[in-house]
Amino acid sequence: MTSLKRPQGSEQLAQNISNKVYVRSTRSGKVQKIVREVYLRTDIPCSSNLCRACLSQAPRNAVNEALPFVLSARPAGTKSYPQGHYLVPDTNALLNAMDLFEQSSSFYDVIILQTVLEELKNRSLPLYNRLVGLTKSEDKRFYVFFNEFRLETYINREANETVNDRNDRAVRQAVKWYGEHLALTKAVQIPAVVMLSDDRDNLRKARAQGLHASSLADYVSELEDGDRLVDMIAESQSQAQGGFKQASQQPLYPEYYTSSRMMTGVKAGLLHQGIFNVSPYNYLEGSIKVPAFPKPLLILGRENINRSIDGDVVVVELLPQDQWKSPSTKIIEEDTITKNENADTEERQDFVSDKERKALQEEVKRTQKASGEGQLQPTAKVVGVVKRNWRQYVGHIDPSTASKGPSQGRRLDSVFLIPMDKKIPKIRLRTRQVSELLGKRLLVTVDSWDRDSRHPVGHLVRSLGELETKAAETEALLLEWDVQYRPFPKTVLDCLPKEGHNWRVPESKEDPGWRDREDLRDLLICSIDPPGCQDIDDALHARLLPNGNYEVGVHIADVSHFVKPANAMDTEASIRGTTVYLVDKRIDMLPMLLGTDLCSLKPYVERFAFTVIWEVDENADVVNVRFTKSVIKSREAFSYEQAQLRIDDESQQDDLTKGMRMLLMLSKKLKKKRMDAGALSLSSPEIKVHMESESSDPIDVKTKELLDTNSLVEEFMLFANVSVAAKIYEAFPQTAILRRHGAPPKTNFDELADQLRIKRGLELRTDSSKALADSLDKCVDEKDPFFNTLVRIMATRCMMSAEYFCSGTQSYPEFRHYGLASEIYTHFTSPIRRYADLLAHRQLAAAIGYEAVHPSVRSRGRLEAVCKNINVRHRNAQMAGRASIAYYVGQALKGKVAEEEAFVMKIFSNGFVVLVPRFGIEGLIRLRDLADPEPESEYDAETYTLTTKGDKAVKVELFQKVVVRVHDDKDERTGKRGVKMELVSA
Amino acid sequence: MAQQTLLSPAELAYLHSSLSLSPPIRPDGRTSKQFRPLTAETGILPGTNGSARVCLSDGTEAIVGVKAEIEKTVDPLGGEHYQEYVKSASGVGGGDAEADRSAARGEWLEMTVEIPGLRDDDAGTVFLAELLREALLADGEFAKKLWINRRFHWRLYLDILLISPPLSYPLPLLSLTTHLALLATRLPRLKSEGDEDPMFDDDWEAAPFLYPREGATTGPRPSITLLVVAVGDSILFDPSKEELAVADSALAVSLCEVRTQREQGGMEVDSGRELRLVSMRTIDPPSRLTPPGVPSTANLAASGTSDTTQQKQQQRAEEHPQEGVWKAPLGGTRFAVLDSIMQAVLEKGGVADEVLDGLEGVDLA
Repeated sequence: MTSLKRPQGSEQLAQNISNKVYVRSTRSGKVQKIVREVYLRTDIPCSSNLCRACLSQAPRNAVNEALPFVLSARPAGTKSYPQGHYLVPDTNALLNAMDLFEQSSSFYDVIILQTVLEELKNRSLPLYNRLVGLTKSEDKRFYVFFNEFRLETYINREANETVNDRNDRAVRQAVKWYGEHLALTKAVQIPAVVMLSDDRDNLRKARAQGLHASSLADYVSELEDGDRLVDMIAESQSQAQGGFKQASQQPLYPEYYTSSRMMTGVKAGLLHQGIFNVSPYNYLEGSIKVPAFPKPLLILGRENINRSIDGDVVVVELLPQDQWKSPSTKIIEEDTITKNENADTEERQDFVSDKERKALQEEVKRTQKASGEGQLQPTAKVVGVVKRNWRQYVGHIDPSTASKGPSQGRRLDSVFLIPMDKKIPKIRLRTRQVSELLGKRLLVTVDSWDRDSRHPVGHLVRSLGELETKAAETEALLLEWDVQYRPFPKTVLDCLPKEGHNWRVPESKEDPGWRDREDLRDLLICSIDPPGCQDIDDALHARLLPNGNYEVGVHIADVSHFVKPANAMDTEASIRGTTVYLVDKRIDMLPMLLGTDLCSLKPYVERFAFTVIWEVDENADVVNVRFTKSVIKSREAFSYEQAQLRIDDESQQDDLTKGMRMLLMLSKKLKKKRMDAGALSLSSPEIKVHMESESSDPIDVKTKELLDTNSLVEEFMLFANVSVAAKIYEAFPQTAILRRHGAPPKTNFDELADQLRIKRGLELRTDSSKALADSLDKCVDEKDPFFNTLVRIMATRCMMSAEYFCSGTQSYPEFRHYGLASEIYTHFTSPIRRYADLLAHRQLAAAIGYEAVHPSVRSRGRLEAVCKNINVRHRNAQMAGRASIAYYVGQALKGKVAEEEAFVMKIFSNGFVVLVPRFGIEGLIRLRDLADPEPESEYDAETYTLTTKGDKAVKVELFQKVVVRVHDDKDERTGKRGVKMELVSA
Repeated sequence: MAQQTLLSPAELAYLHSSLSLSPPIRPDGRTSKQFRPLTAETGILPGTNGSARVCLSDGTEAIVGVKAEIEKTVDPLGGEHYQEYVKSASGVGGGDAEADRSAARGEWLEMTVEIPGLRDDDAGTVFLAELLREALLADGEFAKKLWINRRFHWRLYLDILLISPPLSYPLPLLSLTTHLALLATRLPRLKSEGDEDPMFDDDWEAAPFLYPREGATTGPRPSITLLVVAVGDSILFDPSKEELAVADSALAVSLCEVRTQREQGGMEVDSGRELRLVSMRTIDPPSRLTPPGVPSTANLAASGTSDTTQQKQQQRAEEHPQEGVWKAPLGGTRFAVLDSIMQAVLEKGGVADEVLDGLEGVDLA
């Protein structure tokens, strides 16, 4: 009996064939052994401009061109490598310091090995995407070398070798090959090939092999601005080198469950998965909405929150019922409670510090007193994190944690960074440049949060500039809301029409641009917009028809004529999703040329438009509707105020004014019909900051005025949107881009209804939008006209937010727009500033047979992804706009003191929130600000009343009108300027 | 079953008598306990969890591939899939894994045999598969290896493929190939704990073998099935096609090796191989279907005597076998023969030892 062993390499090509074996677990639970054959080649180029051999045999495409070589023939040198060098980072170097590689001052000529790229993809997808972005940028000269496919650099895994060790060896092999390969070029100066790694074992082995190898810190210290750069290396790495000297102490946080345990638990219904949200008023209280419970689960205290940060997808376990609580009624802010912590030394003994404990204790006492059984909410603890949604955070260094002593040169200090977003915990940073960074807005990344670290650990990305400078604060809020504010890249600008500003509607009707376009230039069209509006999306006209009916036209800028599907400009616009309006700045979705000129329906010039024309009767009922691409010439661009004046001016009897009067008359009828159907008129405080034009410093704040003409335009836009929605849904039942507004769950209104009933004896009915609209109308206070608005603002906050969706993902009844009481709705009227409208334009164009359906408008998967993105962008844009207003209100009030009326919106046991209608801002008034020491107080949760005793005795109730003193305030400790409010009289 | 041999009754009779000698004279010159030489290799099918190929010197060749798939264990009493997990997670039915393991069921092993020229639902093929499957499961330990937790198990698909025409009864060939394939089989390494949904290490190198190799491993190894024939008083192992055609009886003997923990400072010095007979089945030998020989006394063409006497003589010839005249064997196997077969298989240094030693020499890829 004999054993047969196949001899290795007996076949001719055996050395060129290898294979890769791994186990794949599919989502459906299947486990497969996967074998991939690897065919090794010898023609994968090194891509160094020094090398002629590779150039001659590099693979060529169909037109016989090889890809241009990437790596410079004369790369930069450093002290250790004066002859110049190419960098070969290994995976941990990229994981620890991706920010370094994105620097523009250094890190050029980098070879990214396939091994490293694949490993990085498995470890961190966001970092992988950033790296891929880098490899695509031409000026950084990053080259992806497919070492796993090149014969000389491919290595077989040895017996008992771990995957990591094998990959490290592959990296060293590639470095070795590059060194030897470049030596063959016989160039005068052969660059060194330097491996960058933070794995000490890997470095040691590389040096033993005689390769150039360096740790990140060593390498960076030789660069020009090494001190600045070294701060960008992730914390976990310097820790490994003995950064924080901490004996292996008892971990502070409970360990996470294994992922299989979490998955099974979630499937079995023992655990729950959801997105972790932190309460904006209490950093120790989070909530998570899970499908299994109608109300969100509460997560209380540091230990239960267990290292989750706002936005993370976490898995929670329910706590026993005797630990259920009601949501806190107390304001707990991190910076006041953990004020005097030292970033250097961790006080282990009191992981939950006494102050925190005390704050929670009072909570418990209160809930037990309240004893309202129905108020208890289930509580839970976090047992694992499915996905970290850490982004880059903007903040500033807590000056009290910076060392007090004189600046001792370049000492490594630990400091706390206080993020702008109150929901994010303090982040511990280590830096050598504390003195420079104090008082600056900083961008940081969170690296890790280990079980034995009380706070997350991060590293500096860059400094945005001095606190309170306009540039720094604007950039900070754009970063916080993830607004893409970089200038449009060249590829996007290349998509613009060649003629630039000289583009005109072609004169000859034979021109392809005129194909299937109606000539509507003789219609008396005008636009009505806010003053100073440059991107005019819409224009209107109306005229009386011979049969006594009216013809009404809404003309929308024909953006889809200029932005073709799936080109670079379209992709960029779909990523941006929307134009973001800040007080002094607009971040465009489309390049200026289109937005403010070629697409914009400016007066007196001919423009392409997409037109909706209705024939309506006396009662504004539609007789028929049609859609067409057109050419129009707007006669005038009015502001709301001008339009109003012109309509009201009886002496004006020209046809244009008559048309506007018709429009106004019809719009009122449309509005009435809408209101009768149960449309809500909701409110959010809207204000406008007046700027002095030259210095663009804000000088005054005003609430926006609403004129009849505002609602004129709004009514017709809604009307057009509804008509278009019906049309595209009819044409594309599966893929139409629509907008829905879900009916809010009844429980959302519970609290507000209860408050209204107790405080004012009013009833809030929420069974339908009609009932809600009617009951909101009844919420009036004779003495106080603003009360109704206040209730509307509060009701608005109980609503769901409207969202874009693809019609195939929902059933028809779900299409309903609750707020507008419309069965179907979409956005069509602002394609210059919203991407959804642009999609609707393309779909409508296809629906009327104007153009063929582009695949990207038809693919449901892609449309769903686009909807998801624009929903997020839309929300972020709103938030950024609000944050911008808040900042400018603070700036406008700088050095001023105003006494204003305010209304109590929310009451806590140690403070309350007021809304100042004049400025549209909310402010928190803490009891401890009323008097020092903090006055004793009693909070009655049943009647929403807070009573204080002592010399500053006040009684504050919900909805009460109070007078507050508003002034700007710069917190000396945090360096933040904010609006500070003080109670003058209750 | 093997094809009919094209031997005349006279040839059959000659073969029978030479095999009945002591020691028997086999056509290929082997001794009674000698196996035909074979070559074997494992790991020939990269996509499988384990595979082997064995090639006998007569040109017959077989391939076995083992594929494993995850499957939910369905509670025979019905009930929610997650109930078990909820129970164990809440600590109610927390468990004795060993006791749970005994819930493992033999049906988790599925076997198919394919023989060229035969339908896969051919009775002989199905019988062959069942024979092999029964032998594997008979040790009671095999199915337990497929147990993952109380909610999941591996389902093992064992596909046996004869890739040459069946020159002789392929049972021993298929059994040895299966044995090797199972020794080479690996299952992905489990990362999850307890009754959770199973999760596995994606590193194939880390996948453990179904039958662990190094170190002190205990428990039974995969069984092997040998084919033994009795011709007269002789017992012949690994019969060739011709030998089967004259066998008085054929037996499939399955046995497995059980490795036990060597006692500390034990006095035993022998190889420590403990063999266990797991099953024995008689197989209908093809000799039953051979046409009988006719003695020349009864041959009409030779004697030319009348009909009646001839008939009488023929009857007599059927009752009393005549030396040199072939007659298909009838009836069962004598107990003494069975006993000596068992002896020959299980004795130290016996046939099984020889086979297992040979198989151990095969490189497991």
